[in-house]
Amino acid sequence: MPPAESAAAPAVEFAIQKRRVRFLGLTLDECIKLFFGGNAVVSIVVLTLITYFLFREGAGFFGQNRVNLQVYRQAGLEYVDYLRRQADDHTALTRYLADVRLRTVQHHTRTSGKSLEEANAALTEFDVYVERYSAAIDPLRTMVGELSEVASAIKTKFIVNEDKKEERRQLLAEGKMAEAARVAIDRVDFEAELRPIRAGFPAYRTLNRELSSTLTQLAGNIPALPVPELQQRMERFAVLSREYVGTFPEIERSLESWDHNAPISASQAFSSFLFGRQWLTASFWQDWYGIIPLLIGSLLVSLVALALAVPLGVGAAIYVNQIATPLEQKLIKPCIEFISAIPSVVLGFFGIAVLGQLLRNLSQSPALAWVPGFPYSERLNILTAGCLLALIAVPTIFTLAEDALNNVPRAFKEASFALGASRLQTTMRIIVPASLSGIISAVLLGLGRVIGETMVVLLCAGNRIAIPDFTQGFAFIVEPVHTMTGIIAQEMGEVVRGSIHYRALFVVGLVLFLLSLLINFGAQKIVRRYRISVG
Amino acid sequence: MSASLHPFRSHSQPARRIEGVIFWAFRLATYFVLACGLAVFANIFFKGGATVFQARAPFVNFTFLTEAPESLYVFEWQGRKVEMGDREFREFRERNPEAAKVKTESYVYSAGGIFPCIVGTVLLVIGSMAIALLLGVCAAIYLNEYARDGRFIRFVRLAILNLAGVPSIVFGLFGFGMFVIFFGWNVSLLAGWFTLAFMVLPVVITASEESLKAVPRGFREGSLALGATKWQTIRKNVLPYAMPGILTSSILGIARVAGETAPIMFTAAYVVRDKLPWDVERSLDFFFQGVMALPYHIYVVSSKIPQNEYTEKVQYGTAFVFLAIVALIATSSILLRSHLRNRYKW
Amino acid sequence: MEPPAATSPGPAGPASLRRPATAPGATAPTQAGAVPTTHPVIDIENLDFYYGASQALHDISLSIDHHRVTAFIGPSGCGKSTLLRCLNRMNDLIDGTRVGRGRIRVHGVDINQPDVDVIELRKRVGMVFQKSNPFPKSIYENITYGLRLQGVKDKARLDEVVERSLRGAALWEEVKDRLHESGLGLSGGQQQRLCIARAIAVEPEVILMDEPCSALDPVATAKVEELIQDLRSKYCIVIVTHNMQQAARCSDRTAFFYLGRLIEYADTRDIFTNPANPQTEAYVSGRFG
Repeated sequence: MPPAESAAAPAVEFAIQKRRVRFLGLTLDECIKLFFGGNAVVSIVVLTLITYFLFREGAGFFGQNRVNLQVYRQAGLEYVDYLRRQADDHTALTRYLADVRLRTVQHHTRTSGKSLEEANAALTEFDVYVERYSAAIDPLRTMVGELSEVASAIKTKFIVNEDKKEERRQLLAEGKMAEAARVAIDRVDFEAELRPIRAGFPAYRTLNRELSSTLTQLAGNIPALPVPELQQRMERFAVLSREYVGTFPEIERSLESWDHNAPISASQAFSSFLFGRQWLTASFWQDWYGIIPLLIGSLLVSLVALALAVPLGVGAAIYVNQIATPLEQKLIKPCIEFISAIPSVVLGFFGIAVLGQLLRNLSQSPALAWVPGFPYSERLNILTAGCLLALIAVPTIFTLAEDALNNVPRAFKEASFALGASRLQTTMRIIVPASLSGIISAVLLGLGRVIGETMVVLLCAGNRIAIPDFTQGFAFIVEPVHTMTGIIAQEMGEVVRGSIHYRALFVVGLVLFLLSLLINFGAQKIVRRYRISVG
Repeated sequence: MSASLHPFRSHSQPARRIEGVIFWAFRLATYFVLACGLAVFANIFFKGGATVFQARAPFVNFTFLTEAPESLYVFEWQGRKVEMGDREFREFRERNPEAAKVKTESYVYSAGGIFPCIVGTVLLVIGSMAIALLLGVCAAIYLNEYARDGRFIRFVRLAILNLAGVPSIVFGLFGFGMFVIFFGWNVSLLAGWFTLAFMVLPVVITASEESLKAVPRGFREGSLALGATKWQTIRKNVLPYAMPGILTSSILGIARVAGETAPIMFTAAYVVRDKLPWDVERSLDFFFQGVMALPYHIYVVSSKIPQNEYTEKVQYGTAFVFLAIVALIATSSILLRSHLRNRYKW
Repeated sequence: MEPPAATSPGPAGPASLRRPATAPGATAPTQAGAVPTTHPVIDIENLDFYYGASQALHDISLSIDHHRVTAFIGPSGCGKSTLLRCLNRMNDLIDGTRVGRGRIRVHGVDINQPDVDVIELRKRVGMVFQKSNPFPKSIYENITYGLRLQGVKDKARLDEVVERSLRGAALWEEVKDRLHESGLGLSGGQQQRLCIARAIAVEPEVILMDEPCSALDPVATAKVEELIQDLRSKYCIVIVTHNMQQAARCSDRTAFFYLGRLIEYADTRDIFTNPANPQTEAYVSGRFG
């Protein structure tokens, strides 16, 4: 009870202590508050759940990938791939020769004015050389072919066995002991199975020595070509050829010391994903899950998009905020907002139906031949996807940048004008720097939007899983790529649940998720750190 | 002499000209963006309009809007190119047995209409918005009315901001992992609803909070000073005034939901489904069925079938209908918002 | 007891706003004469109050009588509004506020005790705000808002309360034909009187007014002041004002605050004619503030 009532007793009863109805010790109002609070927590819960489920489905990947790599080694595929790589490197050299030949023919037909037949005739000696050079690899190639079959067979045997084990496990789980006992499982003795492959090593060594001497002899004996520039290329070829031969002892050593039982560490399973340069699935030989080509694809497309969207978006924001008449402002803002409402799948369709063709035609016009990569023939590529993504990013960047410009206090502008600055000076020296943090975070959020965009890249980026060729400068922007978002959308529907491929896609999703969190976090950090404090 | 030489006279300086050029560059950037947007709209409206509208009497191609997709058969018949939908072609062959030998080209989904897709999209949007509004408005009420600034609230806000940046395909993966597999709902409306609802949640929360903030403080204080409880105050004196704003701002979220393909790809959308959604045995099955949806249909028809004059009709027609729906939603939100801004001034 | 308004012209200095002062002055004597017995309603003892880490009120002690108008004056930021909002715990709505030492008793009940229901408290201690805040509903609904919250549905009773409250707030004649039009359509002064009517509709004992006239023009101010005089016979009124003439015109007791401390608390007449404290004198004579 509160203290006794004061001497001057109140005329009216003053009962403000009231017991409220309670549920589980909470008043009704507290219950309501708790209910709303629960809803507010939903966003945290969803974020947690996203993380949890991506991990739940994706985490098994690294274990499976380790097994995947282990089998690759145990079944001798790795061994064969050493040889295959040696053969492939040789092929690259032959391609170099073919390129030189093409240039020489061009030189003959264009500069010297010979006909095609004459040009070909002039190259007879060169052709013989090329013939000898490429024939030198044939024994190795045959060997690779034979060993591949052996290795493949071992791998198949192992996989069939694993399937049977799984079958038996299921039968046991169902309680069918008799059937389970009938499932015959033979242990794969890798040591024994690999014996035929290992047995080929002396033969390989002889073969290699012959190849080595042939190539060295050929490298020291290059055919003469008419122009110094071409001759230089041939000399370069000789150097490359010698370097190639120089790698042979190394390969032999690796093969000799190769141990099919050497364990694959967890970090190897991890790095083969994170730094793997190949994403190859449903292959008859060996599946690779390397995220690098997808990551690079995503980044390139996003960068092209941003390169277009940042000047346009920020420029438009400055225009609308600082230069435009009130009527223009009133009209332009909703229009740009409207663009953001165009569904990405419609934009993707537009890219397939119109823009891809349009850009390709444009690239073939002689006036634009100076643009790197022009003309090109692949309709769907980084550039097409980048242009469309730019259209998606512009409204985001515009809106946020315009907000940032708007938040610059009027007083700054007025003070600048009062000092006799022109409109341009005021805009560029006062307004834009003052809102720079906002603009940068707008760009970052635009990047987040673009990198997570799926449908446009799925439809328009060309979907070729390969790291673009950076040797030709900016020409890479007209190459087709595949992206992280695109690969998930494309392959998720076709994979077996629980398979390594399925889990790999979830890990790609996880990478995407973390990347988007990072971008978002960065944007917020920038805004918070450099916010101008007013008043 | 003296009049024109006062010190404030304006004269053409290089600085002035540079200013003009740069301003024109900004102007050009702005109008270029608008032109690009317009080009996309115009292309799809003109070409798609040809499918959806027609010159003859009803002017609207009702077949396209009210029937299910069919395969299209193209063949030469008595010296003319003939295009026929699946059913029509079967009847035609019964009538003309010799037609069985005719060489035909067939294109899937290129005849008939897109009715099931429209229905599916509408169902997806309505369901997910109902969930998102419920969760979002409640969360916003907590954040704006009840919460006191503290570490927890800052954490919630951070989560909302980050949720807004999560790519839609990640939501799709999450929905697939959680609803489709873990909860065992399979590819279903329910899974799609929740996936989409979680995706727009940040938009709805932000929009709702903004609208709640716009309700003057005095309304709350006045009500509380009259002895109203917090909940009475919110229910009677805050929400009614915030609701129009919440709804209009959330419409933009609806447009986004309707426009997304990636999240429903693995959670709710079927490439093709013969039954319409209400064609279920038990009413509970309604929630556990997949549907066809416009955005996914666009993806299917633009990536899985070749581009030519026969398939173009349905591709553009679908894109047109879809864009028209989304544009309608977006326009109405923009108009409503400016209307409300004028009406609600305190 | 002398009518307080009668003393106002003397110390109030510039007489530019004297016109409103004379109007209530005419009615004041009868009012004062009719005032029944007084007894303290609100008792504040050694109150300390904090906004986060900074202390807004230091050791305030004063008691407020029934059937009196008590004015809180002082320069802005002196804590007078904060103290007012403590009286019906409106400060609960502001983050980081807390009562330190001391207590506030209303009719002997410590209002900061955990068993006090703040909703009940606010029903008994009404409030009128600086900025008039009629809800965007009809006048009728504005008035009946508080009663409806308490579950009153009887139409006849609501009608009666509306009329009584509007008459009590001297607004009835002006709005009786448009009770169902929006309260936002009224003029500023009418809006403020509507808010007062809304407050008295729930029949509080105390009405707190937080600078009720600061947003009004002189004519509207005069009407509200007149109304305050009328209400005095029924309620205990506490008014915060930064307008010293207003305090002089319509209050019986005046408390002067400075930097979160109560400097002087006395009969209005004494504060304005014969302040005990030099700071009070400096303030009322317009030398600072």
